[in-house]
Amino acid sequence: MFEHILIPTDGSRLSEKAVRKGIRFAHAMGARVTAFHAIPKFQASDVMMDLLGTNRGDYARAAQAYSNERLRFVQKAAAALDVPCETRHATTDDPAGAIIEAAQASGCDLILMASHGRRGLGALLLGSETQKVLTHSSIPVLVYR
Amino acid sequence: MFQRILVPTDGSDLSKKAVRAAIRLAACTGAHLVAFHAIPKFRMFTLDAQMLEDTAGEYRVASVARARSLLAGVAAEARKAGVACDVAHATSDQPWAAIIREAKRKRCDLVLMASHGRKGLQGVLLGSETQKVLTHSTIPVLVYR
Repeated sequence: MFEHILIPTDGSRLSEKAVRKGIRFAHAMGARVTAFHAIPKFQASDVMMDLLGTNRGDYARAAQAYSNERLRFVQKAAAALDVPCETRHATTDDPAGAIIEAAQASGCDLILMASHGRRGLGALLLGSETQKVLTHSSIPVLVYR
Repeated sequence: MFQRILVPTDGSDLSKKAVRAAIRLAACTGAHLVAFHAIPKFRMFTLDAQMLEDTAGEYRVASVARARSLLAGVAAEARKAGVACDVAHATSDQPWAAIIREAKRKRCDLVLMASHGRKGLQGVLLGSETQKVLTHSTIPVLVYR
């Protein structure tokens, strides 16, 4: 039924819960998985950079390391169930758009994600990136809470 | 993985596509299917031809008959695929709430539905009932386009 599932993660608790459930679903389907992480672009103004004692290069390195860690979490979960898993990341200000692009570029037939990410307002609403993916994706989206 | 899948249908083309997907997913995972149809309440002021021409009594009879035939179609399709299928309908002005209630009552662990129903503005936004199910459901929701 589903052969290739894109699982985006931002490292939040809810998204890691969705990852674990998504891997089990992929296992049941005999599907392979592409894990995806969107790295936010560097936002701080020059003044902020001085205050923070950081610069673009430091940020990029730290963000990349964080992204690798998040993707490794998915890879480990997949390996535990023998689910084939590739990883992708992109640096972007539009995580939802990047998720849809990644799904298309990888030829996925399902996007599986949490109802909220890092900035979600608990049980009240649907997270904004999930909302955007649902609105713009032409492939099915499975939303976990 | 998923044991009981609720698939709401309003008879629109897109919801038929969701029904077919639900049957395939159920066949694939050995899940039980629950097909559900929400009948809108009778109103005096409406653009629905069925409601305009009928009295409340006639409307009830006609809409229940329509629900039964719609659901019988789903059940027959499911049977052909070797999928066990229950059917249910409810009269409600809040289809999304009726969908969630039925999913709870039948202890479903997945709702699979189309991104738009009968009144959807194709391609522009997420259908309003799908949106509300996504916002209020505590179980995973798989959205088809």
